[in-house]
Amino acid sequence: MAITTQRRKERIDRGINVRTEGIYALMSIKELSYLAAPRLVLIVGLLILPLLLPDMYWKRVITITCIYAFLALSFDFLAHFVGLVSLGGAFFVGIGGYLAAIANTYWGFPPWLTIPFAALVGGAVCTLLLFPCLPLRGVYFAIVSLMYPLFSARVIEALDIFGGTDGIMGIDGFSNHFVEEYAPLGLLLIALFAIRRLVTTDFGLVLRGVKDNDQAIRASGMNVTFYKSVAVYIASTMGCLSGAILVHIYMWSGISLFALDFSILPIAATVIGGSGTLIGPVLGCFILVPISELLRDFGTLRIVFYALILVGFIIFRSEGLMVWGQRKYHQFERWTQI
Amino acid sequence: MDILIYGTINSVALALYALGFAMVYGVSRLPNFAHGALYVLSGFITWTMLNSLGLPYIVSIVLTLIITGIIGAMIYQFVLIRVRGMEISEIIASYAIGLAILEGLRWGGFRGVNYTLPAFIAGSTNIAGISVDYQRLLVVAIGAAVVAVLWLFTHYTRIGLALRGMAQDERAAMMLGIDSDLMAVVAMGFGSMLAALAAILLLPLGNVVVEAGYNVLILAIAVCIVGGLGSWMGAVLAAFLIGFAQILTVVYLGAQYQMVVAIFAIILTLILKPSGIFGQQKELEERV
Amino acid sequence: MKTARIKMLVIFVAAVLMMLLPVQTVQAAKPIVLGLPLSTAFLYGWAAERGVKLAVEEINAKGGVDVGGEKRPLAVEVIDTRDLEPGVPVSDALLAVEKLILDKKADFILGGPVRSEAALAAMSLLSKYKKVSILTTGVLTPAYHAQVAKNYDKFKYCFRIHGEAQNLVGEMFANFGELKKKYGFNNLFIIAQDVSHARGAAEVMESVAKKKGWNVTGVEIYPTGATDFSMGLLKAKKTKSEIINIWMDMPESAILLKQWYEMKLPALPFGSTLAAAEQPSFWKATDGQGEYTLCNVVNAGNAPSEATPWTMKFYNAYAKRWGVEPEGLGSSSSYMAVYVLRDAIESAGSLDSDKVVTALEKTDIMGVYGRLRFDPKSHQVIPALDPKDGAVGSILQWQNGKRVVVYPKSIATGEIKLPPWMKK
Repeated sequence: MAITTQRRKERIDRGINVRTEGIYALMSIKELSYLAAPRLVLIVGLLILPLLLPDMYWKRVITITCIYAFLALSFDFLAHFVGLVSLGGAFFVGIGGYLAAIANTYWGFPPWLTIPFAALVGGAVCTLLLFPCLPLRGVYFAIVSLMYPLFSARVIEALDIFGGTDGIMGIDGFSNHFVEEYAPLGLLLIALFAIRRLVTTDFGLVLRGVKDNDQAIRASGMNVTFYKSVAVYIASTMGCLSGAILVHIYMWSGISLFALDFSILPIAATVIGGSGTLIGPVLGCFILVPISELLRDFGTLRIVFYALILVGFIIFRSEGLMVWGQRKYHQFERWTQI
Repeated sequence: MDILIYGTINSVALALYALGFAMVYGVSRLPNFAHGALYVLSGFITWTMLNSLGLPYIVSIVLTLIITGIIGAMIYQFVLIRVRGMEISEIIASYAIGLAILEGLRWGGFRGVNYTLPAFIAGSTNIAGISVDYQRLLVVAIGAAVVAVLWLFTHYTRIGLALRGMAQDERAAMMLGIDSDLMAVVAMGFGSMLAALAAILLLPLGNVVVEAGYNVLILAIAVCIVGGLGSWMGAVLAAFLIGFAQILTVVYLGAQYQMVVAIFAIILTLILKPSGIFGQQKELEERV
Repeated sequence: MKTARIKMLVIFVAAVLMMLLPVQTVQAAKPIVLGLPLSTAFLYGWAAERGVKLAVEEINAKGGVDVGGEKRPLAVEVIDTRDLEPGVPVSDALLAVEKLILDKKADFILGGPVRSEAALAAMSLLSKYKKVSILTTGVLTPAYHAQVAKNYDKFKYCFRIHGEAQNLVGEMFANFGELKKKYGFNNLFIIAQDVSHARGAAEVMESVAKKKGWNVTGVEIYPTGATDFSMGLLKAKKTKSEIINIWMDMPESAILLKQWYEMKLPALPFGSTLAAAEQPSFWKATDGQGEYTLCNVVNAGNAPSEATPWTMKFYNAYAKRWGVEPEGLGSSSSYMAVYVLRDAIESAGSLDSDKVVTALEKTDIMGVYGRLRFDPKSHQVIPALDPKDGAVGSILQWQNGKRVVVYPKSIATGEIKLPPWMKK
């Protein structure tokens, strides 16, 4: 006891971390690889994942994971770089999914056209519909965005449009397995690195300003709502993209695209993976979704385990895996005398 | 006339759903997404005591109120207190706990339609030619009593005043020596008891099913938002607003629009006046 | 701290590995795997699971299925799809079906998915993997066999062995006609749950009723999870309705029946897929308040009757095996689906999907609920009023604590009675 009271842990940046901060990183292989290693591990790891998995079923799980990962990415981007906590992931999925389904069955677009169409137009539709709520802050925006998917589902149900509760059937599937596995993975990686790049640009800086102090942004003569709506467009485009992919994978679309799971699971993944890291939420999905599948053998008990794991993570490791991992990578800890 | 009677009953039911949620949010700013789960849980606790342990009805009710209160307080003390102030973590953690409770009950065999609580007084009567059963009248009477007791409690007892102090200004309350963590635990306990009370009053009208948990949660949120988050009396007034709106929808539009109305009320309220119809406008906190 | 963390990690990894293990073990004898995607937390889910397991146990006890000379046992893989729960996307149920096909290597899909929406969505998947599937529970939408008929080459792997909404409607009108003749009923009030099959059925009910000269006094569609039906019931009362037709499988329908009793509404509650009223425990759950409720349990054998010699044999075997009588839709049909499938495999002599489909189309056996044949175009079981001609339905009424079958007449054990407050 006496010893522990006199010592404390201190964290110090690794030398290599400091050296790689400037342009000098380009000077040596060692430092270059220090920078590139984590990124390469992620890219290569994700790309060979489908090859490593033996059966079709787990490949399919990976694809579904990608869909949740898009949503988690869009949630993390909105919540931690723009300050809009959106609980409406399901809204994006639903709009994207229905648009793709309508474009495919009513107008006969092929999948390679419906997916970009649903993503781009869907993003616009979502942004337009969410526009009146954009001035809201904090928990108010969170709850209103949670209500949007519920509302949309009930409207389709009550008005009996777009196939009502039956949904839309007979949508084209992907023509080959390779595309089905790698298109979502590839798009996910592109989106991930694009968003990472985006938040470091000037535009990203303004967005973060909106999050930290919107009055200051306003005082600088910039239109806060405009910046928010651009950010929402980017986020909802990703969500709609995932919805469109989902619809084509299962060749079906229906009101359950607005299900609460699409809103909650990505947030859970973000909490586990580490919020504000962008990569964390993606990894969180790659942990949570397969775990949920493994637990399927337990029947209804699955959700109980799942919920408890989530609570455990929130309480005991609320910073998230990625933040913890980054710290370990960039810093070392040692005991020092006080 | 039927609209008036059943609108009132529906409104009181909504108010009962919402009061516990409003109380917890009002005091500790915690959106308790496990509210619906506690509601269902207490229904099953009563059922177990009544049927498996063979206790008298009134004893089971009292015990259920106490047990649910303790469970709620424990959830707060051991789990939620650690994420206090982090809104998203609070929502996820409480939702996850709720999910665990509901799905755990389902796994534990509490499924199907066999679980029912007996009505306090069976039978029905006629009011102006409309037949109403006694249980529903009782719901209205007890609901009104609960609101009255709650008002007295928060205005004339030490704990009640402390809770109200917390709700109005947490820092000032702390300066006056009110233990804010303890009060939050107490509030969660009372909130859970209110959920249990609602369950015991309303569940004899139908049966105890797990699915009800999700619906109760949405309705409670709807009422609280329209009434103004954290405003207790606002919640009661909003319950009447939504309650009558729902009944009128059923009569003039069709029952399938019932839920649409509730959700649309939330969205509209949030866009127009985020602090709710009866809340105080705090312009800077809620919008840019 | 650190060691504790590592320990936790090790435990976690070990736990995950242990969960993986049973999946990878290969069984020595090669059974025929029946995959059951069911919503196991609901009546229509567990009833089907029990029906299938009972049949599988009986068949295995006799040595299994003869596949081209080789005796192979049957194995059951149940997976929880949760598709009857709110807030769960259908894609989750579809993933469960894929898990059965790809991971559990199911040779055939029986049972569900239970919710009509999910079953419709699963059709494309089944045709993609060319898996023969027999729906045995819950899915009542006529869209299902309509899809098969419309696009036979694509969806020919999909069969349904229980009655669907259209024959339910027909059966109900036969009863309504009789009530009209006997008591002069003319006003019909319809209450439905807001899901596709119930809504569809309500619409069909309305149009057929008008054609048949009934006065439809109102159609109310309640959202899933509604807990107050007073306004609808009051409307029914005001319009002097004599029959309330209920299409609802959510548990809250018990509230509706209690309200009906409390109001002493002078109208006969006539339900279909009224899950609450199908179960034997309904009487106790409502303290007898649900007496006189009528309920269509879709197929004979879900309630006691003498449709065929097999009916009571099944009924008693089920009660003995599970400690509870067959509870509702899905029990007898799931049981029969296994036998029908066994016959088809034996006559096809292989597990090849296309051959089994051809064999299933030729199915013609006397089952628990009558003669079972599939329509070769739509793969829907052929219904009939007499068990000698086809699959019979079963409408029961709660009378004095018992489920009394009142329709069809060929198997009925009693007659429809009116509640005392309705007698004129």
